[in-house]
Amino acid sequence: MLPIVSITLFLPLLGAAVLVALPGVSARIAHAIGVSFSGLALLGAFWMWARGAGEGFSQIEEVEWIPSLGAAYRVGVDGISLPLVLMTAILFFVSMVFSAGVRERARSYVALFLLLETASIGVFVALDAILFYVFFEVTLVGMYFIIAGWGYEDRQRAALTFFIYTLLGSLPLLLAILALYLGSDPNTFDMRELIASPPLTGLAATLALIAMLVTFFVKIPVIPVHTWLPAAHVEAPTAGSVILAGVLLKLGTYGLVRFALQMTPDAFRALAPIVAGVAVVSALYGAFVALAQTDLKRMVAYTSVNHMGYLVLGVAVAAAAADPNAGVLALDGAVLQMVAHGFVTGALFLLVGMLQDRAHTREMGDFSGLLRIVPALGWAFVLAAFASLGLPGLAHFPAEFQIFLGALGVYPAAVIAVLGIAVTAGLYLRAIQAVFLGEARDEWTGLKDLGTRELLSLVPLLALTVLLGVAPFLVLDVVHATTQGILP
Amino acid sequence: MTCLAILGPLAAAAAILILRRGAAALALLGAGVGLVAALATLARVASGERYSAVLPGLPELPLRLVAEPLTAVLAVAVAIASALILTYAAGYMRGERGGPRFFAGMSFFVAAMQALVFAGDWVLLLASWELIGLSSYLLIGFWYRRPGVGSAATRAFLYTRTADLGLYVAVFVLIWQAGTSEISRTLETGGTAAVVAGLLLLVAAAGKSAQAPLYGWLQDAMVGPTPVSALLHSATLVAAGAILLIRAFPLLPEEALLVAGLLGGITAVITGVIAVAQGDLKRLLAASTSSQYGLMLLAVGAGSPVAALFHLVAHAAMKSSLFLGAGVFQSARGSTAFGDLAGVGRGHRLTFAGFTVAGLALAGLPPLSGFFSKDAVLAAAFESERAWLLVPPALLATALTGVYVARALRLLWRGEGGGAPVSGAWWMGGGLTPFVVLAASLGLAGEPLARLLGAEIPQDLLSAILGLAAALLGLSFGWTLSGGRMPGPLLTSAERGFRIGSGFYGLVARPALALAAALDLLDRGLHGKITTAVGRGAPSAAHLVDLSDRGLHRAVFGVGRASLEVARATRVSDESGIDGAIRALVRGTRRLGGQARELQTGLIHRELLIAVAAGALVLAALAVGAIGAGGGL
Repeated sequence: MLPIVSITLFLPLLGAAVLVALPGVSARIAHAIGVSFSGLALLGAFWMWARGAGEGFSQIEEVEWIPSLGAAYRVGVDGISLPLVLMTAILFFVSMVFSAGVRERARSYVALFLLLETASIGVFVALDAILFYVFFEVTLVGMYFIIAGWGYEDRQRAALTFFIYTLLGSLPLLLAILALYLGSDPNTFDMRELIASPPLTGLAATLALIAMLVTFFVKIPVIPVHTWLPAAHVEAPTAGSVILAGVLLKLGTYGLVRFALQMTPDAFRALAPIVAGVAVVSALYGAFVALAQTDLKRMVAYTSVNHMGYLVLGVAVAAAAADPNAGVLALDGAVLQMVAHGFVTGALFLLVGMLQDRAHTREMGDFSGLLRIVPALGWAFVLAAFASLGLPGLAHFPAEFQIFLGALGVYPAAVIAVLGIAVTAGLYLRAIQAVFLGEARDEWTGLKDLGTRELLSLVPLLALTVLLGVAPFLVLDVVHATTQGILP
Repeated sequence: MTCLAILGPLAAAAAILILRRGAAALALLGAGVGLVAALATLARVASGERYSAVLPGLPELPLRLVAEPLTAVLAVAVAIASALILTYAAGYMRGERGGPRFFAGMSFFVAAMQALVFAGDWVLLLASWELIGLSSYLLIGFWYRRPGVGSAATRAFLYTRTADLGLYVAVFVLIWQAGTSEISRTLETGGTAAVVAGLLLLVAAAGKSAQAPLYGWLQDAMVGPTPVSALLHSATLVAAGAILLIRAFPLLPEEALLVAGLLGGITAVITGVIAVAQGDLKRLLAASTSSQYGLMLLAVGAGSPVAALFHLVAHAAMKSSLFLGAGVFQSARGSTAFGDLAGVGRGHRLTFAGFTVAGLALAGLPPLSGFFSKDAVLAAAFESERAWLLVPPALLATALTGVYVARALRLLWRGEGGGAPVSGAWWMGGGLTPFVVLAASLGLAGEPLARLLGAEIPQDLLSAILGLAAALLGLSFGWTLSGGRMPGPLLTSAERGFRIGSGFYGLVARPALALAAALDLLDRGLHGKITTAVGRGAPSAAHLVDLSDRGLHRAVFGVGRASLEVARATRVSDESGIDGAIRALVRGTRRLGGQARELQTGLIHRELLIAVAAGALVLAALAVGAIGAGGGL
């Protein structure tokens, strides 16, 4: 059998290597290479999707590495990681298509994105804790250079904040991994073993869990360690924001499920009320702070804090649930929320970027009446905004519905988080009203509507947003098969 | 077949968006298909059949459609109203730009409403409940370039969505209590859960049906095209609230019924007064809608959902006639302010005749439909255990209806006739006439309706007499109101709609925005603080680790040191590869550190940055080496 997981994983890296080996290629060719290799990786991801995932891990590929340490190259997927791999491949592909307009140092830009793609897919398919950690760290390096090299005005400070934050944040994870390793018998980094029989108990498990929570909370992000996010988003180039919000935040939430929930389940159950509390506060806080923003990109960035808050709530509920129904429900919702947020927020960041490319501003107050001038962009924004505020028929609704429903069964008080959906409705409608409704000012009448390249990158995300909303079972059936087995 | 009631309009909406031509014809075709499907469903149900369909949805929570007497009756009402309103709209929208957007929106609206009506599980009901909110947002905002339209659409969506939170939580409670999302089985819930869920459902219904204190948005929504108003008020958005309570009636415990009755009674009176004070015909009709839905809630509270349903159906015909008539006047005079409409009835006598019939029906004159349906509501109130609470507001609201109907009729009749010729008059007449006929005759539908539902329509001689007396009193008082003005200090307040505080904006939006601004300030402060803390905390943490002699900390620190040694060695030997990248990063960080220091002096020390960043990165990249050392300990 073809090792399709590894092929998908390393195709983008191969593309990056090709670019490194070809000094002095034109921007055009660099982008062609980028689009083709991320396209091939996307085909690989579809192939993996077609093969499917069962209850446990499947499509395993394993190569001996350091047998004496129990470390090996191990990759594979289950119902939680498979949708994320497909989402990652899709987001990178549309980002490469959208980025085809970048002329400045295009070769390095494309190579960094391809490196980042391999690292991101790697995090989701890794079944070895060390492999996971290496990929986890490499994504950081890639994103640092993308923000610092191609961002907006204040990019270097933002990149630095991002870097220090998440770098210091990820050290505890290494400690936790070492603790898990030392606790396991025989010592191994095989995540399947660590999941099947969680090695730590008591205080050690709690300390390891706290270490993991620190790492993942910074990455997700959850308040109060979210402050790198708006800065990084505002300064990042558009495609960088798409990947940052769409994929990199999911590394944190995925880790929360894969490591915290699955490797220290008992400790997580004990700490679940605290995590759920932090998640609810984070969700509401994110919604309210987003409401105060007048910069569209900052606003979308803060809504991520809101959506990730729901997601963490879902995982906490899954950890705490005595009733497996509630836990599975919430965990299904949390996984679907990862996928939904990737598509919806990806589309929103693309749209804000498109607006900025045209108008060179992101301030709501600078605009008015754009719906008549740029109808395609306007309607696309309306669709994506309604998806983000959780309208039924669009991707976030089934996810959030399941999370809230699960939460009510376990922590009735957490249902206060539904207030967030009214606040997000308010902030998006306000943005739509300010930017797109009313009569257009003269200065904007010359704006051009979406071009082919922009439509090609946007339409797939919007179509998937609708598809996920109308037929969530396409993804949930895969997720559900696995989550049912995870929770007792 | 039943599915076509939803799919017909839905397909029409899709076809219109794709083809972008023949919008009105496609929309009418979709509505026609939907109507036939709804009638066929009613016929099957009337012959005793009950059936349902299960569709894939969420795991363990499939979507369901059910055909039973209540859903079939409602589906027919929605289908008839939408088909007639779309016929009218074909004339009304002639010459307007954006036809495809309008007709696609209307068709989608109808499809979502039919999904809500047929929904057999809470997930589908909640989904369609929110989708009709979206449709009304898009349609109220149809003329989005005009001033005030965007904010009215926003307000309509926000009001209703905030109230929808009640439905969300109610649905969660019901699903957990019953262990299923099937509506019919969740309605057997009892105890505290039923009280909580019932009251929450009431909140959601009050938002959609524009009940006190959430009625302000409905009047602002009048900036939308008139057919939209007609559809909103008769059979879709506003009706959804009452429909929810009628369907959930078996669940509602005493406490919820009491609140429903009180809320309905209070709303019926307050919004009745507001209607009397309006200086604009459409705003009058909007306030009147709140008042009539208040009567339906009152009927539910009195324990007679069938009376509420009867009034809902009759009201759909009456209010549609009134709105469509108002739309004709609007086309003639270019406005709906009474000042501009004076005497318009003389110029459009046929329309005015229809408007009068519908208005008198609404006021409750026999033998028109409103007499029977309102009598059912009144009789229900009389029979109820809480008659002393429910009868006075019901009678008062009936009298107020007479007042504003008579006042409107008089204002439309007095003055100079004439006005611009109305284009598309045939289409408009074609939609309006059947509504007027229905408004006049639907009183006959009460008995068959009750038989189909297996319930009895409350009837009571005393209530009929008192109701008629109240209506006549109101009508004569309304006709004599000098200049149609209300007396004294009540006027201004009532005209503005009795907005408590400063309404939604003052009570909800402003505090929310203030909280948002405060948290934003906090967040900006937090960013500086945390970044500083990270900068300061890192050296002390490193110091701690350095001092620490025991345990994992030491091991890891040793690991870090070992990796640094390895890194140093590699750096000497190898100029390329990972090491090169790391050194580039270190150089970059050093440069950035300098820049950051310029930006924020004292925030981050350069040396610290380099030490921490480089050390940690090497640690990460050379994880393999780390394991070697770690495993040895």
